[in-house]
Amino acid sequence: MILEIKNLKKVYGDKTVVNIEHVQIRQGETIGLVGNNGAGKTTFFRMLLDLIRPTEGEVLSKGENVMQHDQWKDYTASFLDEGFLIDYLTPEEYFTFIGSLNNLSAADVAAYLTQYGEFFNGEILNSGKYIRDFSKGNQNKVGIAAALMQKPELLILDEPFANLDPTTQIRLKKLLKEYPGNMTTFISSHDLNHVTDVCNRIILVEKGRIIKDFKTDENTLKELESYFSA
Amino acid sequence: MLNTFLSHQWKSFWRSRNRGSSIAGQIVLGFFMLYFLVLALGAGFGMQFLLPKVFPNQDVIKSFNGLILYYFALDFIMRLQLQELPTLSIIPYLHLRISRSKIIRFLNIKSLFSAFNLWPFFIFLPFCFMKIAPAYGAFSTLMYIVTILSIMVFNNYLALYIKRKSISNVLYTLFGLLIFAAFAALEYYKVISVMAASDYVFKAIASKPYIGFASTLAAIAIFYINSDFLRKNLYTEELSSKQEKKASTDYAFLNRFGKVGELAALELKLILRHKRSRSSVIMGFFFLFYGFIFYKEKAINRDAFGQMMFGAIFMTGISIIIYGQFMFAWQSAHFDGILANKINFKDFIKAKFLLFTIGCTVITLLASFYGFLSPKLLLLHAAAYLYNIGFGTVVVLYLATLNYKRLDITKAASFNYQGTGATQWLLMFPYALTPILIYVPFGMLDKPYWGLIAVSVFGLAMLLMRGFWVNYIAKRLELQRYKIAEGFRE
Repeated sequence: MILEIKNLKKVYGDKTVVNIEHVQIRQGETIGLVGNNGAGKTTFFRMLLDLIRPTEGEVLSKGENVMQHDQWKDYTASFLDEGFLIDYLTPEEYFTFIGSLNNLSAADVAAYLTQYGEFFNGEILNSGKYIRDFSKGNQNKVGIAAALMQKPELLILDEPFANLDPTTQIRLKKLLKEYPGNMTTFISSHDLNHVTDVCNRIILVEKGRIIKDFKTDENTLKELESYFSA
Repeated sequence: MLNTFLSHQWKSFWRSRNRGSSIAGQIVLGFFMLYFLVLALGAGFGMQFLLPKVFPNQDVIKSFNGLILYYFALDFIMRLQLQELPTLSIIPYLHLRISRSKIIRFLNIKSLFSAFNLWPFFIFLPFCFMKIAPAYGAFSTLMYIVTILSIMVFNNYLALYIKRKSISNVLYTLFGLLIFAAFAALEYYKVISVMAASDYVFKAIASKPYIGFASTLAAIAIFYINSDFLRKNLYTEELSSKQEKKASTDYAFLNRFGKVGELAALELKLILRHKRSRSSVIMGFFFLFYGFIFYKEKAINRDAFGQMMFGAIFMTGISIIIYGQFMFAWQSAHFDGILANKINFKDFIKAKFLLFTIGCTVITLLASFYGFLSPKLLLLHAAAYLYNIGFGTVVVLYLATLNYKRLDITKAASFNYQGTGATQWLLMFPYALTPILIYVPFGMLDKPYWGLIAVSVFGLAMLLMRGFWVNYIAKRLELQRYKIAEGFRE
């Protein structure tokens, strides 16, 4: 079990934003978190990453509470939004910096990045720009590639498909599906097609609560569509 | 139409989210503005008494004439760095049914609303009325004023024109300051005198007033050149200052510090690549002249280090004070990333200490030119330096864990008080008072050097305790991290 969420609650004023009783996530699962705006997806992810203090409950990563220990950072990589990027660096500097945190030398990082030529579409490396000068889609790419570079056991991405062009969306799906090792992936998305395609388990949330939690099969997309059109 | 534009600008100023939101902050801000205003007016009205003191064996009017060109040279260099191009404000109007010439007129007028165009009124006009008018008569006085204001307008549009045409770069500004300093030095050693040239020009205006119109013609010319350039290039991406190609850099000297050095390098890049932090650094260099206010000959002779302590602490510690007051908030845009990544809080804090120590050391070394005034001052600086790196850094970083205000560092610093809260103003009290309190007993016992030693020993003791402080502050940061991260997300 890589992640276990117990009785997790976040309350702002008198509004409960997240209220999750119990979820267990096993190593190697690819989970899609689906829900409308305001369902509490990002707040939930932030609590997984210890960025927000939960009102109640706990997040256990390999059995240890993320609030009290730091070990989870050794095998967790994430990209939620541009707030994770250091936007005044060039992409190369950013990758080198993230690499150095994971004990990768500048040469390791450069070697790693060569395989991303296609994903970056030649627009990111050696562009002579700071990250802040890139379009949102390209910033997303930098964040996702930096997360994958850490070879994490647990990968958390918030809306990775948003702002990406169709070609890159397809490439990213391929990347997530074929990524070597038994990486556990937790992504949120508004795109039902992608999420059913990539994930083998879907968690549907509404107003902070889990409505459905099921394995994907050929009927999943239809089910989700009927839920959201109701 | 122009009125509508200006009223929109007025609203955008008053409704801007960047302004200090709390009333207390605004009141303090008001006092500061008032302070600078009084200072400028004081300089203006006091000029006739100050000038004879600075240039004793010289006619007051000659000194005044001599200063004008110096002022505007400095004004121009500062404009290149600090004056903002009023470009973004026209974006919402470009696609509407508004003619180009109206938009350009608006841009031109808007650029005049700058603090740079306010100072000359306070600094020069009082003297013109009080001294020039009795000496040369009404017409000459009028031409003096016309000339001064013309040069001001000329500087305004020339600076904008250059900024629009070329890559603006901090190095140019530093280079400009160096040239300026070189001329001042040549002046001092009586090699080349800009003062004499300036005096010559204004003497000419005094005797043949209509010559003053030459500067007006120059101002009009640059105004038209600028407008013409705008007319031909009315695209926002072409109007903002040109971008240079960005390159990745590596600070080899920081590598030896391992992960801490890595984090320090990151922050050094942050400082150099943002307008607001860059202008803070430049301000820091200006404060090097602060000593001339505090280090009076009398005080030096009497060994009155207590009086001079504040100046010394402030000057050598300026990088800690100016940069440290917004500590952690500089990184508010990517604070989540720092928390979610594998960054040890202790390393994070150590990197800040490292950076402060480097900054403080550089400034202290630069300030050692005061040693020419008196070698005693070097001892004072050494004490202040030890205090700053030993204890000042701790105060600043401790207060940083209480600061939850987001800072948008892409905006310029002047008149930007976003992220300013009570903590920033409170910072100064423990920071400046502690060393003075340590010194005072020794000062009263007439043992000034023992006082300096006491301050140094205190700083050194704190420096040796740095390991403890790092742990302590890292713990505090760990406790406060949710609150800080939440505040930085807005």
